[in-house]
Amino acid sequence: MQQGAQAALKDGAAKPLLVEAIGITKTFGAFTALDDINLMFKGGEIHCLAGENGSGKSTLVKIIAGTYTQDKGTVVINGRSYKELTPAQSMAEGIQVIYQDLSLFEHMTVAENIALGHLREERSALINWQQVRAIAAAQLERIGVRLDLNQELREASISTKQLVAICRALAMNARVLFMDEPTTALSGREVDRLLEVMSELKKAGLAIIFISHKLDEVFRIADVVTVFRDGRKIGDFPSCDLNAKRLSYYMTGKEISYPKYQRISKAQDNFIEIKDLCKKDMYSHINLGIRPGDILGCIGLLGSGRTELALSLFGLNQPDSGKILIEGRETALKSPSASMEAGIALLPEDRSTEGLFLERSVAVNSSASVIGKLSHGILGFFDFVKERTLALSGIERLNIKTTSERKLAGELSGGNQQKVVISKWLATKPRLFIMDNPTVGIDIGSKAEIYEQAQSLARQDMAVLLLSDEIEELTANCSRIAIFAHGQIVEILDEERLKDPAIGSYIAAVVAAGGKQGTAQDTAAAGTYNPKEGRA
Amino acid sequence: MRIERSEGILLGIILIYAVAVALVNPAFLSIETVFDLVRTSSRDLILVMGLLLIMLSGGIDISFMAMALVSSYCATAAMMQLGLSSIGFLLIFAMLIGVVMGLFNALLISWLKLPPFIITLGTMNLFHGLMATLVGTRTFGGGMLPPSFNAFGSGNLIELESEYGIIGLSLSVIPVVLVIVLTWFIIYKTMLGRGIVAIGNSEEAALRLGFRPLLLRLFAYGYIGALAGLAGSIYICQVNAVYPDKMIGEELMVVAGAVIGGTSISGGKGRIFGALLGIIIIYLLKSTLIFLGLSASWNNLFVGIILVLSLSFTAWQEKRRNERHLLFKIESR
Repeated sequence: MQQGAQAALKDGAAKPLLVEAIGITKTFGAFTALDDINLMFKGGEIHCLAGENGSGKSTLVKIIAGTYTQDKGTVVINGRSYKELTPAQSMAEGIQVIYQDLSLFEHMTVAENIALGHLREERSALINWQQVRAIAAAQLERIGVRLDLNQELREASISTKQLVAICRALAMNARVLFMDEPTTALSGREVDRLLEVMSELKKAGLAIIFISHKLDEVFRIADVVTVFRDGRKIGDFPSCDLNAKRLSYYMTGKEISYPKYQRISKAQDNFIEIKDLCKKDMYSHINLGIRPGDILGCIGLLGSGRTELALSLFGLNQPDSGKILIEGRETALKSPSASMEAGIALLPEDRSTEGLFLERSVAVNSSASVIGKLSHGILGFFDFVKERTLALSGIERLNIKTTSERKLAGELSGGNQQKVVISKWLATKPRLFIMDNPTVGIDIGSKAEIYEQAQSLARQDMAVLLLSDEIEELTANCSRIAIFAHGQIVEILDEERLKDPAIGSYIAAVVAAGGKQGTAQDTAAAGTYNPKEGRA
Repeated sequence: MRIERSEGILLGIILIYAVAVALVNPAFLSIETVFDLVRTSSRDLILVMGLLLIMLSGGIDISFMAMALVSSYCATAAMMQLGLSSIGFLLIFAMLIGVVMGLFNALLISWLKLPPFIITLGTMNLFHGLMATLVGTRTFGGGMLPPSFNAFGSGNLIELESEYGIIGLSLSVIPVVLVIVLTWFIIYKTMLGRGIVAIGNSEEAALRLGFRPLLLRLFAYGYIGALAGLAGSIYICQVNAVYPDKMIGEELMVVAGAVIGGTSISGGKGRIFGALLGIIIIYLLKSTLIFLGLSASWNNLFVGIILVLSLSFTAWQEKRRNERHLLFKIESR
């Protein structure tokens, strides 16, 4: 540490060089995942790795963590050069990776989850529970967060789990911390808290490297952004020199702009009308109508009732009282199949567990929603030709990039996986398509395609309910936006209001203030609002 | 001591049931009932401690009754051959043989990467078959066994005078208590135990922290092997005879006890107190049917009801937790 710090001081910089990648090349068969990458990570710096899926970011992380070995090149950590690095060496050098799945133990307490890695490193034979709590408390103190040490982890919210994973890495003497899309499952205020913690760690001299698809977070927190495209490094940029447009240009090599949606439908009658819908502890007195051709956006913090309502419309999470009218007729949506019959489709937020059979082919996945219609006769012989035709038409219609309809869904990129889920639901010819955060973890190029798809569906008179945490996504795509807070709709913005160029920051303020819109411009109010911790 | 909600419910069931039995037959309320319960259940109380460790590791073992039989049978046969008579030899031989079988299970599970249920189903038959073909299938009756066996099996730690004669607390309570304390120490006081719980929660996450699943599994399956040797030895001493086909077939009752006690089938979760309660409730039902004037076939009915109820309770709790986190399972119509 001392040596590194001195060397850095000689360079005239206050930030010590912790990790350096020199000429890293890695191939998988004929595919070059990384091509001659040179990169430096410094202490006291937040470094963002940006790039589309498959651009090589994760491969680089895995090489530095010792999971993969590079074909060519050297990794220098704390002044020591490694041609080959084992996971244990990498950990011993203070490198910690927080993967998206967090790798925590659900049936252990918060304290044990934080301390176990440290104790394992120390090679202790016995476990002293007082020490476990002391280690956990010390790490939580470091990041300035209070958590219930004795809470069983599975009872905790995702944001708490995220903090536990960070504390565990710190307890293992992390000096270089990689975080793979840490904010994906968090919403609004929780993201703020995480970003605060990250800047605390930066002040403490750690090197933080994070991978994120959310550009606004990148600009808020990163000092340096390194852009990858097709296994090559495009460049290192100070984040103050970048804007969203340039960054997406570097990432994709194309100019990408999101088209603004204009409703053209003549239909004025609501397809679905929600009247005074209530569900205890989740939402109350919801009134909402969606017309064909509407893209209705819903935004709100975790626990604001947004997701809860969407699940009710899909026949999960039965409401306690109130009515749902579909084309003017009261309809009970008691199960997902009842909702499907009524013409409702749901694109779930977690596509890998709720939307897809990852181990099955694209063809099987894209026909799964109409499997009952693909068989004939009493014996129910399955029509494989129809299945294939259906899959091929989906691949063409949605521009799914796959070598064959027989390829496993799990082998596609995130964006193409999402398109498979969309194509599966389009096969049911839905009238209302509920999309729950459709672009989470999806790169910019595919994002634009998914937006185009949603808009073209709406232009063909489909009603779309778009749940999202990204304000930009909503303002670009929606004809109306409903803001949720504390289980109620606090404001509905119509098409006229959405034309206002400053509407984005207005929405952000209302959401953050928990619906107290009198103080919407007052950012201090945003800070005092205390969202529910994931209902745990 | 902290008591989980499911354990509280079990305690309640035991209490209500005991009162009900006592109302029908006041003779039930005696220290003799307790002593008898301890004696008859000691084999399974020991086994369930090993099973708990296995289930914490995310595995399952249904070969432990076969291991208990084979190890005690082979140890007895060897002692007869060698002319040894001390109870110490029986315990040491049987536990060693048990450990070897347990390690074999662990290696197969680690190498073949098949579900432990299938593998131990196979080795259960394999161990028994090897014993029958290589060692033999003759029964050792009470008269042939060294007298030390019976002395241990019917010996008492504490003896009390009662109107029906002398009643006593079986010597087997000593190994039972030792095993419970040792298991508690392993699970809660050693990194070995925490590692076993860790792989039961998430093997991948444990690997990333540097735990070595193979070693942890070798220990857990070796441990139940040793306990099987011990439990089998206690059992043959108690019945004072060694049959080549007893014990096998009773393993699922012990698994049921562990599950009733709140041990998770999917791994990573389970407590000593719960597992013990689970076994005790099964033996309580078994031994009290006589007081209620019911035949033994009622035993299965009661155990079945309690097992289904306790699983329903766990599932219901899980469902409520999921709903709080907005996870919904689609219910089939």
